[in-house]
Amino acid sequence: MSKYYLFQDTKKCIGCNTCTIQCKSNKNLPLGPKISQIIPVGPKMVGGLPRATYVFMPCFHCEDPWCVAACPTGAMQKRAKDGIVFVDHNLCVGCKACITACPWGAPQWNPETGKAVKCDYCKDRVDQGLKPACVTVCTTHCLQFGQEVDEIVNVRKRRHAEAVAALDSNAP
Amino acid sequence: MTEKTCPVAQLIQDLEQVLASGRLHDAKNHRRSEEIRALLDDVAWGRAGQEHLPAIRQLAEEMCQEAASDVGDETGGRVLQALSDAEEVFQSHIDTHNCASGACVRLAPAPCQMTCPAGIDVPTYVSLIGEGRDAEAIEVIRKDNPFPWVCGLVCTRPCEFMCVRGRIDKPVSIKFLKAFAAERALSWGQYKNPSKAPDNGQSVCIVGAGPGGMSAAYYLALKGYRVRVIEAQPSAGGMILLGIPRYRLPREVIDREVAMLQDLGVEFVFNTRLGEDVSLGALREEGFAAFLLAIGAHKAYRLGIAGEDDYPQVLDAITFLRAVALGKRQVPGKKVIVIGGGNVAIDAARTSLRLGAESVILAYRRTRHEMPADEEEVEQAEEEGVEMRFLTIPEAIVGRDNVLEGLRCLRAELVAQEGSKRMRPVPVKDSDFVIEADAVISAIGQQVDSAGLTPLEGLDWTRRSTIDANMVSMETSLPGVFAVGDAVTGPATVIEAIGAGKRAAEGIDRYFHGIPQPKMPPVPVRRGRIQCKTLTATQKMAAKRPEMPLLNIDRRRTTFQQVELGYAEPDVRDEAGRCLRCDICLRCGKCVEICRDKMGVNALEMGYFDFDHPVETDFRMTAERCILCGACAANCPTGAMQIEDRDGERILSLCGTVLNRESLTECAVCGTPMGPFRYLEYVRKRTKGVGPLVESRLVCETCGRKTAARAMQPEQ
Repeated sequence: MSKYYLFQDTKKCIGCNTCTIQCKSNKNLPLGPKISQIIPVGPKMVGGLPRATYVFMPCFHCEDPWCVAACPTGAMQKRAKDGIVFVDHNLCVGCKACITACPWGAPQWNPETGKAVKCDYCKDRVDQGLKPACVTVCTTHCLQFGQEVDEIVNVRKRRHAEAVAALDSNAP
Repeated sequence: MTEKTCPVAQLIQDLEQVLASGRLHDAKNHRRSEEIRALLDDVAWGRAGQEHLPAIRQLAEEMCQEAASDVGDETGGRVLQALSDAEEVFQSHIDTHNCASGACVRLAPAPCQMTCPAGIDVPTYVSLIGEGRDAEAIEVIRKDNPFPWVCGLVCTRPCEFMCVRGRIDKPVSIKFLKAFAAERALSWGQYKNPSKAPDNGQSVCIVGAGPGGMSAAYYLALKGYRVRVIEAQPSAGGMILLGIPRYRLPREVIDREVAMLQDLGVEFVFNTRLGEDVSLGALREEGFAAFLLAIGAHKAYRLGIAGEDDYPQVLDAITFLRAVALGKRQVPGKKVIVIGGGNVAIDAARTSLRLGAESVILAYRRTRHEMPADEEEVEQAEEEGVEMRFLTIPEAIVGRDNVLEGLRCLRAELVAQEGSKRMRPVPVKDSDFVIEADAVISAIGQQVDSAGLTPLEGLDWTRRSTIDANMVSMETSLPGVFAVGDAVTGPATVIEAIGAGKRAAEGIDRYFHGIPQPKMPPVPVRRGRIQCKTLTATQKMAAKRPEMPLLNIDRRRTTFQQVELGYAEPDVRDEAGRCLRCDICLRCGKCVEICRDKMGVNALEMGYFDFDHPVETDFRMTAERCILCGACAANCPTGAMQIEDRDGERILSLCGTVLNRESLTECAVCGTPMGPFRYLEYVRKRTKGVGPLVESRLVCETCGRKTAARAMQPEQ
């Protein structure tokens, strides 16, 4: 797990997709890849009313990432100092192993460059003391970014474990 | 055009650097730079039109004028400088769709086209022939060579020597494919002249109806000139008629292609020798404003040995062949010796046999290895019974009472000479011997017969007694007088003369329009980008260059019938399929490197990519190891290597050759193709240590995200 958190308060999110658009624009991505994306879940009937939830899906920046293990060229890396998982585009040859390996679809295909792209928490911005692009434009301020505190680490670890478990239990 | 870098590629690189550096803060100029880069990309990809360069220039000028910063001014200036320094190269990218340096990878030309003296787009016409589009192939060839049928039979085929397929097995039979297409198109009435420009009222006179002169006539006629060709002989063809015997090039082939020129309005005046029957001055008065000297090299070198002038049975090959070509079919003797080792010597020897000589001996100073004659010609001559005597230096012609009795020769040994790769024959002392003969034919080379040109004052000659001409524009020292062919180069090839003829047509056209002549030789023009034929790896590898069927040996010894009978149609179509499409695949080796060094798969065995260290090539091997990851295709700069998912399969192909195909496994949720089993195995193996996820479940990235989002949604 990276030492940062990127937390979404789904209660506040209205699914306006500004985060996704800003993310693409910041990374100069063509049609196709969405390295952070709002996934609408629902609507479900809650108290007789339909209600949808919007889940922000960037990258978990796993402790032990599938994508890094899968990458044959060493392009997919985990940054030692803060645990950010990122692609070095100079090394990526476009074999898509990371895309295939990741259970959450975090690495995506950039057809223009023929290489994989993924959320790296905008590490260039983070290094300058700025926040990731998506966070800066969130209209409802439901996205929060910061250095981790123990409590949040635990919450994230639990959620990550849940995500893994849910996938396994859904296995056909 | 041998420079390694290309000014177009260089300018794009420079611009990208400026754009990436972020130094160009001024938004307007940043946009302009991006626009210039996009336009330059078009140039480098062969998509640019005539408006591109002016548009780039205007944008660059705007950048300089409105520069809010030094960087803007500097960048604009850099672009303008590049355009003015290398305008011809930029323009040539647009006109020819070829980048001679290969730096603009999409426009990197094929070796066969680059080596052809006429710059014919070989991959394009070979591909068209492969598809059975013979008439279109002829149309493509005739853009650079008006005589596809002639060349299809007698070209020295430099293209085949450069053919990359030759590094795998044998070169593609380019020469004969051309002959087949020409013959087929003519026979089916599809061999047509292109439409010509309207008459421009200017007249050009061409001296000599050989391949060089007639090529110029063809391209000038297409440009709208009134062209008259004067020829000393009673028919057109020049050396291809007089020097090349009929068993190699039937008369009809020449006649039919010459008739195409007459159809275009080219006027031929035969039995007219410049300097004897007509003079340049008289022609000028008649209204001819430009002249092309294409008189060839028809004068034989003398042997310079004793007895040469003492016997009427001593002939020179070129006079002998000319007499035979013009109908004087007399056997030179019962026992004939031909001196020389070039194609003319072989032609004289084989012609003597056909005329009834009982024995023909070819005496050559060096060894078989050094013979300049075409290997196949030598082989065919030997089959017919020509005897080769190597390391034999003629010393004197001996005889008695005006009757030739033999050739006294010395044995030679080869000695390396400084500064030359070619070994020099040195006579061995006291080794002389006599070969019995009653006729000796010398074939030791030809020179230009300058007799008719001596009245031309101010015409410069080279030290080799050829006309001194600029090899790009074909201008001579006299204004309005151009020269091509053997008269300029000394004895050379048909295709060289044709290439020069086309350059001369351009030079003459510029002369009339007062446009400056080009400084660089023309870059061959890419005439198309024909879709690759889909073949299996086995088909591509297993196809063999067909053997040329030959006339039976008895007829070859007795008649002048065409020796090479030609391929059957299915062989022609299959042979075209052997072409590796070097017009598309650059052979840069990126795919091999990535597969081997980056992916660690090493499924591509493309030895032919490396000219200097060719290792094995086997397209069939790829399917054994390839995991169909697609990294090779993702990194191919020209789109030669392609991967696609079609009908439940993932297919990898290189220029149409299917290297590997496997059925796809689908996403367990939505059915989107995920990849073939072997590829998923590869990923599974690598991620084994991380967790069992991929093993238990196959979901595509979209479904993976959806499932995860649903799982993460807090209970409500």
